[in-house]
Amino acid sequence: MGKTTYKRLKGSQSFRQRLLLATLSSTPIIIDEIRADDMIPGLLRHEMSLLRLFETVSDDCVVEVNETGTRLKYKPGIIMGGKNLVHSCALTRSMGYYLEPLLVLGLFGKKPLSIRLKGVTDDPKDLSVDTIRNATLHILKRFGVPSEGLDLKIEARGVAPEGGGEVLLTVPNVQSLTAVQWVEEGMVKKIRGWTFSARVSSNFEHSMRFAARGIFNNLLPDVHIFNDHKSGPAAGKSPGYGISLVAETTAGCYISADTAVSCGRTEETGEIDVERRERKPAEDTGVEIASCLLQEIEKGGVVDSTHQGLLFILCALCQQDVSKVRVGTLSPHGVETLRNLKEFLGVTFSFRPDPSTGTVILTCVGSGLINLSRKLS
Amino acid sequence: MAADDLMSSQKSHRTRKSGPTMRKKSEIDKKKRGVADNKQPNPRAFSVRSVVKAKRLKIRAVEKEQRRIHLPTADRTYGEPPPFVVVVQGPPGVGKSLVIKSLVKHFTHQNVPEVRGPITIVQGKKKRIQFVECPNDINGMIDCAKVADLAILLIDGSYGFEMETFEFLNIMQVHGFPKVMGVLTHLDKFKDVKKLRKTKQRLKHRFWTEIYNGAKLFYLSGLIHGKYSQREVLNLSRFISVIKFHPLSWRTSHPYVLADRLEDVTPPEKIQMDKKCDRNITLYGYLRGCNLKKGMKVHIAGVGDYSLAGVTALPDPCPLPSAAKKKGLRDREKLFYAPMSGIGDLLYDKDAVYININDHLVQYSKTDEVNGEPANKGRGKDVGEDLVKSLQNTKYSVDEKLEKTFINLFGKKTSASSERKLEEDAQSSPEGSDTESSEEFQSGDEVDDHEMDVDSNDGKIKEKTELRGGRLRRKAIFKDEDSDEDGDDDNDDEEAEDAESDGNEDEDEDGEDESVSDSQDSDEDDVEESEDKVLGNISKWKEPLKEKGRKKNPNLMQIVYGASASSATALINENNEISDDEDFFKPKGEHSKNLGGGLDAGHVNSEDCSKFVNYGNLKNWKEKEVCEDIRDRFTTGDWSKAALRNKNSVAGDEGEDDELYGDFEDLETGEKHNDHENMESGTNEDVEAAERRLKKLALRAKFDAQSDKSELEDDDNDNGDGINPRNSEAKEPGFVDKLKEELEIRKQMNLLELNDLDEDTRIEIEGYRTGTYLRLEIHNVPYEMVDFFDPCHPVLIGGIGFGEDSAGYMQARLKKHRWHKKVLKTRDPIIVSIGWRRYQTIPVYAIEDRNGRHRMLKYTPEHMHCLAMFWGPLVPPNTGFVAFQNLSTNQTGFRITATSVVLEYNHQTHIAKKIKLVGHPCKIKKNTAFIKDMFTSDLEIARFEGSSVRTVSGIRGQVKKAGKNMLDNNAQEGIARCTFEDQIKMSDIVFLRAWTPVEVPQFYNPLTTALQPRDKTWTGMKTFRELRSEHNIPIPVNKDSLYKPIERKTKKFNPLVIPKKLQAELPFASKPKNKPARKRPDLDARRAVVMEPEERKAHAIVQHYKLMSKVKINKKKAKEQEKRKAYEAEKAKKEVISKKRNREERRERYRTEDKQKKKMRRGQD
Repeated sequence: MGKTTYKRLKGSQSFRQRLLLATLSSTPIIIDEIRADDMIPGLLRHEMSLLRLFETVSDDCVVEVNETGTRLKYKPGIIMGGKNLVHSCALTRSMGYYLEPLLVLGLFGKKPLSIRLKGVTDDPKDLSVDTIRNATLHILKRFGVPSEGLDLKIEARGVAPEGGGEVLLTVPNVQSLTAVQWVEEGMVKKIRGWTFSARVSSNFEHSMRFAARGIFNNLLPDVHIFNDHKSGPAAGKSPGYGISLVAETTAGCYISADTAVSCGRTEETGEIDVERRERKPAEDTGVEIASCLLQEIEKGGVVDSTHQGLLFILCALCQQDVSKVRVGTLSPHGVETLRNLKEFLGVTFSFRPDPSTGTVILTCVGSGLINLSRKLS
Repeated sequence: MAADDLMSSQKSHRTRKSGPTMRKKSEIDKKKRGVADNKQPNPRAFSVRSVVKAKRLKIRAVEKEQRRIHLPTADRTYGEPPPFVVVVQGPPGVGKSLVIKSLVKHFTHQNVPEVRGPITIVQGKKKRIQFVECPNDINGMIDCAKVADLAILLIDGSYGFEMETFEFLNIMQVHGFPKVMGVLTHLDKFKDVKKLRKTKQRLKHRFWTEIYNGAKLFYLSGLIHGKYSQREVLNLSRFISVIKFHPLSWRTSHPYVLADRLEDVTPPEKIQMDKKCDRNITLYGYLRGCNLKKGMKVHIAGVGDYSLAGVTALPDPCPLPSAAKKKGLRDREKLFYAPMSGIGDLLYDKDAVYININDHLVQYSKTDEVNGEPANKGRGKDVGEDLVKSLQNTKYSVDEKLEKTFINLFGKKTSASSERKLEEDAQSSPEGSDTESSEEFQSGDEVDDHEMDVDSNDGKIKEKTELRGGRLRRKAIFKDEDSDEDGDDDNDDEEAEDAESDGNEDEDEDGEDESVSDSQDSDEDDVEESEDKVLGNISKWKEPLKEKGRKKNPNLMQIVYGASASSATALINENNEISDDEDFFKPKGEHSKNLGGGLDAGHVNSEDCSKFVNYGNLKNWKEKEVCEDIRDRFTTGDWSKAALRNKNSVAGDEGEDDELYGDFEDLETGEKHNDHENMESGTNEDVEAAERRLKKLALRAKFDAQSDKSELEDDDNDNGDGINPRNSEAKEPGFVDKLKEELEIRKQMNLLELNDLDEDTRIEIEGYRTGTYLRLEIHNVPYEMVDFFDPCHPVLIGGIGFGEDSAGYMQARLKKHRWHKKVLKTRDPIIVSIGWRRYQTIPVYAIEDRNGRHRMLKYTPEHMHCLAMFWGPLVPPNTGFVAFQNLSTNQTGFRITATSVVLEYNHQTHIAKKIKLVGHPCKIKKNTAFIKDMFTSDLEIARFEGSSVRTVSGIRGQVKKAGKNMLDNNAQEGIARCTFEDQIKMSDIVFLRAWTPVEVPQFYNPLTTALQPRDKTWTGMKTFRELRSEHNIPIPVNKDSLYKPIERKTKKFNPLVIPKKLQAELPFASKPKNKPARKRPDLDARRAVVMEPEERKAHAIVQHYKLMSKVKINKKKAKEQEKRKAYEAEKAKKEVISKKRNREERRERYRTEDKQKKKMRRGQD
């Protein structure tokens, strides 16, 4: 045992999950050939930032990256958690990118986690902080995470490219997660939304809300979209606006869709055309997201496609009981998650498609991971 | 009339209503009616006198009750329970093997010549027991304590308790306390009944103090013809069988196997090349604890950590009898299995079948066969019998038979049902002649050989049945061949082809494939086979068709995990299917980038993004028609339809299967191929109904558990200490009840879900269940393990959980064992047994100060807990461990040095020790002083700026800065400027008290006791003391630390001089009175006294009296002295005698002790 044996992986795919699962199962990993053939080889800025975040949260972890950044050696340490931690995220990805693994990681720490993240709060690629606050945290609660101490406070907004947002995440720690039987989707009873605008006129918000509500009018009267107009330091450094919609069902499922639009100049980023396309009227954004939400509802499942990965991870981390969940069509991210779970935790899911609803029911036996770092009281 | 008058005239009897007589009568009456007398002689004596006290009593009672209640634990063992491990332990020569032998004899009516390794027996209809004899060395004791469900401690009653018993008890207590039972043996050595009774009593009470009041101590009174009396063994067996086992937390969270068989499966060429090459071994045993998954790492006690190269489930070698309604066990069902002892008839294996027959049983001959009746009635039908008989009748040599043997495709895949059918067939047609059976056996072997290279993840149970099924099947074919010879060639071809396809199938066999085809085959191949015979070649074209039918199953599992799990051909099929079935498992419009893309190896660098949205093809949700599609997903829609949607998940199976798995019909024969035969039959039930059923099951299970528990409590009560817990049972709080119910419901739910799955998927998902007999293959084990393998020592294989294979610092709460004579020293290596492991490590002891600082201790405290920090493979907090310093068997005294529990683990240690820096002033300026010798460099001073210092005289101060520039230029480094609250003196010594972190050495050394001869003591790192005594190095002594007599010069003070001026001002009383010394004595001294005659007389008388008394006293003294002398002489005499006696006594004692020691040593040898 003197020498640590590393698990060898390739490529930058599902980087977050690999790190997360390696840390939870305390498996040292080596990732080779990270974007070896790309124009910009090696780890990107947000990935490095994520590694830093893991270092802040845990103790004694060893990260080695070679000069080109194409090879990473990661030896996980002990997840510490703790108060008054601060991390400034790289601005290439929004906070959703960092928060997703951090939520799970925080649960298995030695002390309850309370961390302040700085950077971009919303962007179209990742979950917006509103969605995490209003949908993701509810999913965690299903697995026996106590609701006290589980909170995400948005203190300042910040959109790409400059960021400047600030959120405060607190996660309690648990001994272990409880398995769920979560197959009932229920019916959508209410839709809530959160729009925000930072350094732009609040008219954007109003038009988004109006447009989105228009879509739901046919279906549900109980629609309420809150607005959040920020100015001054709380508005971050770049102008932008965004919307996040969450549909709550009678069975306690939360289905979400969100996006954010940045009005700032984005010349330096490589993805100009994508951003350009995004600059359409705010009404269109509202309609789009509302349609997205309906699409997700149509697909079925107890969570939306974005949260599938998280759901599977939580199921796999449960006690050694059977978890049963229903999801809509499996998203590529979900499938990747399933493979990673098998690789790291040895948890295999069984599938039972339900063609009448177009959903899949997944069953697994949890890996029985217990929070080892917690001190015996 | 008269009578009437008479009646009326008489006064009717008036019973007394009061008075003492009446009182007495009524009391008697009450007693007769059984009414309890409530009246107490002094009711006030028992009434509540103090409300406060009553309240306190009540609180205490409630608290006691609460303490009794334990948090219910989830029971996750679903399968048939593995045999309970009964460890028989005791010091050497106490009769361990004899107890096991007599128990086995009692249970199975079989004689065990020698107890080596675990012996599994079927004890009852639902219970199996595995007996293990605990070896006498401490390593074996540790491993046994870790697996024992029940420990039988054998104690030599004639000798009394020995250290081994207590050591074993302590080891068990630390690793979760299994049930314990004591057995006293050698009681026939007592001739005196009274002494025997007293000894029993004494030992019992000693036993109770160690375990609990009322712990069972059993007495085996003595040997009759070299065996324990049957009655007593029966009683003992009853005690064993009624004991209930409770789950222990470490064991329920870790899988483990107590190997009852070990085989070396290294290729022989490799061993021939190099005798010391690493070996591949297989270990066999029942899985216990929790489920074992395939990729798990294991620790073999005494060897090391290994990953499992292969796990297969084997058929149970000692199965429980079928659940027929009958009382007791038949003789045939009283199986037992002890491969290491060389008993047990049949050994099924992946590679071969071994038959073991006792020599005196091998006496079959042809005449027996002719008679048709087995001569050996006593043993009934021997399993090996048939096989051996058939072997006797072989006509052809092996080579000949090899040429003639065939392999049947469908022979491999027989499910239980078809097998039964075939067996019935076989029974109904017993005309199968000798040659047939021999052929059958041979060919069975052949199939077996063929299966050698089947990959190991195949289900093993299947393989066994296959094996047998294959044989039986061939019988039928041969019959066919015999009857029509002309069809032989055809058949041959077919068989050959079958064999080929079989081989192919073997190659690309994966769990899925088999599971699908398995269910089909079960009902198909009976028909199919007959059809084969009839139709010959014609039916062959159907095979690909069938294959297609099977393959059509679009299994999401294969798509998600398939890339790695299945072979190339299977993959191609799947990929084709992806395009077929995309409409239901793929997001619409995401064709190019979907799952297929995910499968691609080229996408290793795809972006890590959980969101997956395409804004391109959103429907126009503004339109009403579009909205109608999902109308029912909203509360505004149709609730009943929405409910149906949820219901579908259960009820929809049937329909979905129909369209998905595409049952198809063979038009030619009209037989229907159903895919979902193994699906749950009662799918039409409502969700609610299912739930209700679940609850009902849970309730029933709970009830069962409770009744069990109450029984258990009865037991406890019987031998408990008089407190009746039963009356508090009813008051058990609802919270615990609720928890229990929840756990039970969850268990039932799990069972329901898992039973839905087919065997292979289930194993894939939950791993091998506890209670299965496993064959574990482990590669690259040091050759010593095989060479020095000793069946008497248990081979424990324990699963390693997440993160338990990485090393780190652990903090433990440790207490030196009260029977260990010495305290432990920091940094002296100790051997710990923790989790499954045993290793040597170097601890640093510490204690937590008031302010939370962990202060290092040089030695453990005598009677107190302390913290121990050490480096080693991590275990979860709350794991207990024991520590040893010496493992040798010939050591006297108590070997367990400490017991402890792990509190947490950490990446760093926070232990600090006190350090005192000493300095001297080199220059003093008022309250500032320059201190030298305290620091070596200015950098060091910078580190300590602001810290407080103190002089010996108690003047406090503070370190300011390096004082270099304040002094002259050539001043050396390391002079600090300090300020004090007062001026210090040059002679003062200045202290700085600080704390320095202590490092815990990163050392741990796993014990490799299985890799050396067992009688050799394992030696690891030695302690300082051992090294010093070995090399004759004296203990280094710091001269400064030695105590020397303190020499203090008497201080000479100068005479006090008071100035003249001051003297003049002083009051008279304070003025020094200087009188000049007199030259002549004063008058009083000089004056002569003359007495009067009267006075002189009186004086003379007084003088006389004084003289007289003096003489008297002198006389008395002389007398006394004489007396004393005599007494002393007497005393000396007595002393001499007593000394003599003492010496003799001592000599006697030493002699007996030496004798016993010698005896013991002899016993060990």
